[in-house]
Amino acid sequence: MSRWLERFRPYLMVAPAIIVFVLFFIYPIGYMIYLSFHEWDFISPDKQFVGLDNFAGLSEHPEFLKSLENTFVFTFFSVGITTVLALLLALWINRPTRFYGFVQGAVFSPHIISLVSIAMLWMWLMDPQYGLLNWGLEMFGLPQSQWLASPETALYSIILVAIWKSIGFNTLIIIAGLQSIPPHLYEAAALDQSSRFTSFAKITFPMISPTLFFLIIMNLIGSFQVFETIDIMTQGGPLQSTNTLVYYIYEYGFRFFQLGYASSAGVILLIVLSILTVLYFFLMSKRVHYQ
Amino acid sequence: MAEIRFENVKKTYGEDTIISDMNMTIKDGSFTVIVGPSGCGKSTTLRMIAGLETQTEGNIYIGDRLVNDVSPGKRNVSMVFQNYALYPTMSVKGNIEFGLKNRKVQKAERQKLIEEVAEIVGLTPYLNKKPQKLSGGQRQRVALARAMVKKPDVFILDEPLSNLDAKLRQQMRSELVQLHAKLGTTFVYVTHDQVEAMSMGDEIVLLDQGEIMQMAPPLDLYNYPANRFTAQFIGTPPMNLVSVDQLPSAGFREKAVEQIGFRPEKAKLRHFPGNDQFSMPCTILNRETLGSEIIYQLDTFAGKLYAKTFNEPVVDDEQLFVSVNNEDIYYFKENGRCIAPYFNRETPIKVRSTV
Amino acid sequence: MAVTSVKSLSETITFPPVWIPETIRFENFTLAWDSGPFLRYFVNSLIVTLSILVLQLFTIVPAAYAFARYRFFADRALFALTMITLMIPTQLIFLPVYLQFSSWGLLDTHLALILPFAANAFAIFMLRQTFKQVPEELLEAARLDQASEWKIMYMIMVPMAKPTIITLLLFSFITHWNDYFWPLVMTTTDASRTLPVGISALTNVEGGVAWHIMMAGNMILVVPILIIFFVAQRHIIRAFVYTGVK
Repeated sequence: MSRWLERFRPYLMVAPAIIVFVLFFIYPIGYMIYLSFHEWDFISPDKQFVGLDNFAGLSEHPEFLKSLENTFVFTFFSVGITTVLALLLALWINRPTRFYGFVQGAVFSPHIISLVSIAMLWMWLMDPQYGLLNWGLEMFGLPQSQWLASPETALYSIILVAIWKSIGFNTLIIIAGLQSIPPHLYEAAALDQSSRFTSFAKITFPMISPTLFFLIIMNLIGSFQVFETIDIMTQGGPLQSTNTLVYYIYEYGFRFFQLGYASSAGVILLIVLSILTVLYFFLMSKRVHYQ
Repeated sequence: MAEIRFENVKKTYGEDTIISDMNMTIKDGSFTVIVGPSGCGKSTTLRMIAGLETQTEGNIYIGDRLVNDVSPGKRNVSMVFQNYALYPTMSVKGNIEFGLKNRKVQKAERQKLIEEVAEIVGLTPYLNKKPQKLSGGQRQRVALARAMVKKPDVFILDEPLSNLDAKLRQQMRSELVQLHAKLGTTFVYVTHDQVEAMSMGDEIVLLDQGEIMQMAPPLDLYNYPANRFTAQFIGTPPMNLVSVDQLPSAGFREKAVEQIGFRPEKAKLRHFPGNDQFSMPCTILNRETLGSEIIYQLDTFAGKLYAKTFNEPVVDDEQLFVSVNNEDIYYFKENGRCIAPYFNRETPIKVRSTV
Repeated sequence: MAVTSVKSLSETITFPPVWIPETIRFENFTLAWDSGPFLRYFVNSLIVTLSILVLQLFTIVPAAYAFARYRFFADRALFALTMITLMIPTQLIFLPVYLQFSSWGLLDTHLALILPFAANAFAIFMLRQTFKQVPEELLEAARLDQASEWKIMYMIMVPMAKPTIITLLLFSFITHWNDYFWPLVMTTTDASRTLPVGISALTNVEGGVAWHIMMAGNMILVVPILIIFFVAQRHIIRAFVYTGVK
């Protein structure tokens, strides 16, 4: 009897979690893939099998293509600028100061505040008429911007918000990476009369590059899923200029009831995320190897 | 209190044989030390007694009870681990009490037992501290107290002193021996340190590659090694071995003897060959002066040999002879077995002063 | 852009959109509070977030322990399944899950907001790492002390992993308190809406946006998080940094 329990104990222990995962993650993914090969509008009783038609349709669908383009532009700029700025900030902050704790807290808080609040705060800052940003631009004699109201600037405004939210977190991670570099490396370099730039290129950068790779992939995964800021700030507009992949899925699934299209777009996002995740785990296993 | 009996015990991990056919009886109330080089299977042996590992074949008895299928908690065995394995989230008292609670011992009784053992190991002032706040020696005592409080039949200790510094180790060694004398419980102690084994055990089990090389009291192990391995493992520096082929005297080439051996402390350094059967010219390669004793490393035509002298003037001449009394020579057969003159344990040990 | 500190952030959003306010108008809060069923939202948020935390505690600890300490048939496969879950964002699965919930009649209920997050792959992964670091000797000592396996888990392993568990719960709290997407999709009435969704509705007020009221509304959402952050700042930062670096 107790031997029975002994053998089944591990299964009992993992069962609750596994049930949740299968029910709410694994099965839905399977269902989404299934739907991507069908045409369905939520209401009609039968789902018509259409093979790859949904994907073919998507490839000619201007709105989808626009959202794909926007997603890539968003990801490229937000991840790129965040990483570079965070690296510079980290190098600048990473010295023992009395304010370190305060800076840490200040820099970090955007990361834990709801994106809803952040989006609203920035909508206010970016208001073309009474927004602080335009007020600031005027102060310095610069031309004002339409920010979210213009198709030319809306996506970049969203990118600005994304950078603002993630830069603090990124900086902290890089600082942690910098602090894990053993000081004796720099001492040895100093004895070898290495210049500051050489020290950075030969010691700092190689030592933190795993951290950077890691961050970049995490940021990529995050920015492919951007939704909240767009839904609140622009709802994809003006003129589709801020429509992204996830927002497209949401709109087509939820507003226009074209589940086949929405699911196909979902499958494409799934593929992108899978590639990034595999890369992430590959790097992780490599890093474990180094230690 | 109980004796422990191994009957044809075998332990394998997949292809690897850790213990091959072990038979031994650990005497009731003895302080038995299991010693051997790393990977010899000594810890596995210990863990099989505790029930933390199950033998692949054979039987293990504690007292009269066959414990093959008895879980660790029910064997009435206590163990002191190398890293103490104290529960870090519990106080010293909590650590000692945990086992008693699991055995549903009444609260008043628990309190009494804890006070008792705390007194014995001198932990009374620390009962409410967390283990992390204690020194290495004090943690060691907590581990001991936790083991003692259960009043086990068998007390198992797995290299308990290896994390202490040299001075403390010395002190704990004698404390453990005294504790054993006080409790009278069977102690099984594992170590890789032959000095610890010799100084603490009243019975030593010497293991190598999963086989018992010899099981005997310390002095017997030193004086009557059963084989080459034992002869070399016990004693510092180890016993000198010389192949008979390299000896000029034909007298050794008898009874299929392959090597002869002698302890460094029995070697005599002289300026003349002398009459001993074993005597060869040598030069001093190196000298370690340790105070009361001096260890010489010698170069001879039969290879490097050690000699150890006690309270004697330093010898630093270039050309010397190393010789050994006939009675102090051990003979080893091809298979490593040690034969005459000490194959009979009844032979008295001759104590003589060197030179 | 200069680093925006917490203080300046909270100050910025408290005040009406004037650079320096002439008077500090606390009545904005009451205005915001009265402009919608915020008490309802707040309670919903609390119910949903806390229920998730409690459920996660019951699913994560045993699962992490089993993955860390037992070898069993298909253990690797089940762990792989857990890790796959880690990479699936809710933005991918909301459609099928929505259909599921609608067939069960659970749409627009608290359960629809709670159940999918009753387990957490990331937390299982982290806690498993922590459990693995506990030396085997400690478990053996406990077994010799006649402790049952459940007792070992709750008396020895869980107390040892307490810092990790607290960190993971804080993590979860922040995530689900702030979550906007899931409640947006799964709720249709104020009866089950949570704060982020409720507050976002303030942007759609007819006849122009009342910025001061909107910002005051956001304070209700932000303040609990900031309080938690300042109480457990070191814990939280260490957790986030740890997950990023390791």
